[in-house]
Amino acid sequence: MPSIIPALEWIEGLPWTTAIRESAWGYPIIETAHVASIVAFTGLVIMMDLRLVGLAFTHAPLTQIQRRLFPWQMAGLVPSTATGLLLCCVDPLRYYGNVFFRVKLVLLALAGVNALAFHLRTYRTARRWEDDPRVTSTARLAGAVSLLLWSAIIVSGRLIASNWFN
Amino acid sequence: MKTGIVLALLAAGALCAGQPALAHHPFAAEYDVNEPVTLTGTLARMEWVNPHGWIFIDVKQPDGTITQWTVETSGPGQMSRRGLKKTDTVDGMSLVIKGYQSRNKPTLANGRTLVLADGRSFYVGAVGGPNDGADR
Amino acid sequence: MLPFLEWCEGLAVSQAYRESLWLFTLTQSLHLVAITTFIGAILIVDLRLLGWGPVRQSRAGMARSAQRILLWAGLAVLATGIPQFTANALSYPRSPVFVVKMCLLAAALVFTATVRRRVALADEGGLPSWVPRAVGAVSLALWMGVTIGGRLIAFYG
Repeated sequence: MPSIIPALEWIEGLPWTTAIRESAWGYPIIETAHVASIVAFTGLVIMMDLRLVGLAFTHAPLTQIQRRLFPWQMAGLVPSTATGLLLCCVDPLRYYGNVFFRVKLVLLALAGVNALAFHLRTYRTARRWEDDPRVTSTARLAGAVSLLLWSAIIVSGRLIASNWFN
Repeated sequence: MKTGIVLALLAAGALCAGQPALAHHPFAAEYDVNEPVTLTGTLARMEWVNPHGWIFIDVKQPDGTITQWTVETSGPGQMSRRGLKKTDTVDGMSLVIKGYQSRNKPTLANGRTLVLADGRSFYVGAVGGPNDGADR
Repeated sequence: MLPFLEWCEGLAVSQAYRESLWLFTLTQSLHLVAITTFIGAILIVDLRLLGWGPVRQSRAGMARSAQRILLWAGLAVLATGIPQFTANALSYPRSPVFVVKMCLLAAALVFTATVRRRVALADEGGLPSWVPRAVGAVSLALWMGVTIGGRLIAFYG
């Protein structure tokens, strides 16, 4: 399998990625926007998950929470992904070699699978249990898994900066 | 009464909420506060990059050989706010760096103070570290 | 003030925290998750105040549920924040960005515990419609300001 390192080196050498890497303001702004949008997005996901596991907002039908929060979760997810990709381009070799970055990507994929599985299967039956404070067990499981995964994603994202095991 | 308790709790919690960004990496995990170093040498090169800059300094050993040290500094934003300009750090110039040695790598240090040949000194430490800012 | 901060740095827990890698990592990880949860609970009610989010639900009901989360998450932020604060207590007075951020934080807390709380728990018909919207907007601005300011400290000391 051909190495992707030359491609990463090429990206690192581009004028615009270099400019951001050496900027006084650009990098701090992108990184701060990344963190702020992640906090907003993940915070709302956690609220939804707390409803799923029956710890909060139990008076509200699950579908109400899901439907109304979803666009705002996306409003957080889009800038966090965009800034994340930008940050990767600015220092691609550093992230490629960083174990916590790789762990974060794997966890993100797992969180995506969990969300997709929930929406395509369990959520389809929502009308039957949406009003119950204690929703159906597969939905509760999806919520619990989501809480665990997103907490781990936050932590692994923070540990990227720690430079361990490099 | 209940609101009072809530306010007090949250206020106290908020006091502590500022810390994560300051304790950016665990300084103590990578660098040894008990191993301060002063490096005198010539600048091989300096990388003015985010999130941390890097100074590569050639230090002449007592036996005549040259050892290159790598010194971690703050990013370009902080440097320029402290008055250090990219034009101030010219390859080949003499300089003195004070900092703390890495625990794991013998020629890696966390930079605190940079002294240029013309005598001007700058705090180059990243936020977070012993007596942070005391050695400005 | 200074003697108090020096005392903080001298505590056994501060020493342990500065020296131990796993302790730092554990408390900071919990701290970040607690902050995210806290902000989530703020956002869900702010969205509701602004007329977005789960609108068919009673606003007071949402706010009461969110308030429980704010208290628990806030407690977690406090508990995990204390060792981080005391370990580097002396660095605080030297950071202008930090001082600004703390003022914003104080304003956000006071606002949330007083005006916002009253409006969020009030009967929905009882207030002119611009009031909850204004309160939601101010709350959003303050808390996102705190989040952004908190992160900027790392870049601008």
